[in-house]
Amino acid sequence: MKTSLSFHKVIVGLLVIYLVIPLAATLLFSVAGKWDHTILPESFTMKWYIELFHDERFYGALQHTLFLIFVTVGLGVVIMLPTIFIITVYFSKWEGWLQTVAMLPYGIPPIVGAVGLIKVYSNGPLPITGTPWILVGAYFITILPFMYQGIRNSLRTVNAVQLVDAAELLGATKFQAFRTVVFPNIISGILVSTLLSVALLFSEFAFANLLVGGRFETIQIYLADKLNSSGHLTSAIVITYYSIILLVTGTVLKLTFKKDKVPSPSSKKRSVFFINKPFRQKNTALEGENS
Amino acid sequence: MSYVTIDQVTKGYHHQVVLENISLTLKKGEFATLLGQSGCGKSTLLRSIAGLEDVDSGSIFIDGKDITHISPRQREVGMVFQSYALFPNMNVFDNIAYGLKMKKAKNIKTRVTKMIELVDLVGKEQSYPHQLSGGQQQRVALARALVMEPKVLLLDEPLSALDAKIRKNLQKELRRIQKELEITTIFVTHDQEEAMTMSDRIFVMNKGKIVQSGSPVEIYTSPVNTFVAKFIGNYNVLSMEVFHKLVHSTELNGKEIAIRPEVLQIVSANEGHLGLHDNWGIKGLVKDVSMTGNVLRYEVETEGAAFLVDNLHHKGKMFEQGAQVQIFVPKKECIIL
Repeated sequence: MKTSLSFHKVIVGLLVIYLVIPLAATLLFSVAGKWDHTILPESFTMKWYIELFHDERFYGALQHTLFLIFVTVGLGVVIMLPTIFIITVYFSKWEGWLQTVAMLPYGIPPIVGAVGLIKVYSNGPLPITGTPWILVGAYFITILPFMYQGIRNSLRTVNAVQLVDAAELLGATKFQAFRTVVFPNIISGILVSTLLSVALLFSEFAFANLLVGGRFETIQIYLADKLNSSGHLTSAIVITYYSIILLVTGTVLKLTFKKDKVPSPSSKKRSVFFINKPFRQKNTALEGENS
Repeated sequence: MSYVTIDQVTKGYHHQVVLENISLTLKKGEFATLLGQSGCGKSTLLRSIAGLEDVDSGSIFIDGKDITHISPRQREVGMVFQSYALFPNMNVFDNIAYGLKMKKAKNIKTRVTKMIELVDLVGKEQSYPHQLSGGQQQRVALARALVMEPKVLLLDEPLSALDAKIRKNLQKELRRIQKELEITTIFVTHDQEEAMTMSDRIFVMNKGKIVQSGSPVEIYTSPVNTFVAKFIGNYNVLSMEVFHKLVHSTELNGKEIAIRPEVLQIVSANEGHLGLHDNWGIKGLVKDVSMTGNVLRYEVETEGAAFLVDNLHHKGKMFEQGAQVQIFVPKKECIIL
């Protein structure tokens, strides 16, 4: 038993080291001054960060990326949430079709998708190639699998069909049933889908480079550009962008689970974010019942 | 005057008939049970009454009003689901108050508190569903349906997920509450013992049809066909030809004969006869003995048929496997099917 536990600890430790080392090295390189012949840097400096934070282009690229993420993920939630809910609860026979459509992005490499999009949207009724709007459309499709899986799994976990049945029998309209019963119970699922999408879009390069390039510079395009000038500076960009993702994720999780007095069944397992107070009320169970 | 009328209801899925010309009537305050095996259509019928399934043809009336084509929220029926379907984001109080809030009812607090007392959940008002045991969750589901004062209460196998002891307690609780409120109730179960214990009337269903209806005593003592006889009480069902050969008599006529295991007497093969005018004696061999506490169940092999024989478990009066025995069949207990 003891050996088995130690073995597990070693495996987890190795995994953590494997994941953390590249990030730690990048962090170290971003604050390194002279680092040529030694294992650790000979001197430390913040000049790469100072240089980065004095660059107007960085703020512009960050702003563009955040704008694209906000619009795309927002659209994704607004369009996909009711769609998946309606199909899961009321038209379950069409679920297979929706699943196929949602999984399509996995089957189309970005380069193929980008070439197709450029051809279709270069002229004709909707000439949006080179504008951020073509990226919004492409990104919407890119995050579809995450949105679909996260929301559908949450709906199934809470047994949305039966919750809606129960609410309707108690006098709720379909919309009231969704708003008061289903939605509060799938927030955690929506949040997970949203965060996965944000993380994915933050690091998306292929579509951004091929569809708009420098005309609407995103953080990844800016990063690629800086790769040729200085490794220290690109390390500072990577660390900054990781910090922003961590900050956004942490804030959203904290705000959501702080409001959530009691975890929904789907969030119960993720007790790392939520600790229940012990339940001390008097038990009124029938003979044989456990509470 | 019937309070609930189901008239010629038919329903099918993908060209397969699930409910076939179902008709039944219930009196106000009656506790009726739809009893049948999985897939016989009993839950579909219940969901059709609730409005959660559309019927292909036929009509459903409650208190004289045709509710066949109106939405579930307008039907004034309450339903308790097998998996409870409590709202995980709401505590016990809010779950029970939900329907009243939707209706914008008055005195919500008083009515919910009264209902919490009725189902014995005082002190649990602020608990969330996942903090309650299965039995407690079921009582919340019941209170949530009852607080709306529905015209008909529908119970879809509400006790099947609970263990035996809690189930027995809740059966009594459910019946007590139903009698106290005099609410017309339709209960769905596949457990014949549960149906017998709780119901005023049982409707036995098979393959989308009601095959027999009546009081528990009627259903148990007078099954109309082989299915009911076997499903409801482990009857010994024999073809008349085999029975004639076994008892060397053609006194009874018909297609099949059904005999309850507990009316059969078992004695040692050389132990004489029990009033031959009232009984038939059949010799056999004990193939198996099982004990369910107070009852000993023998499987007796005779020439041409196997019989189940249930006897009360008396100390020192038990036949071993392989024993030569004689079973006596009381003539008046033979049911011709």
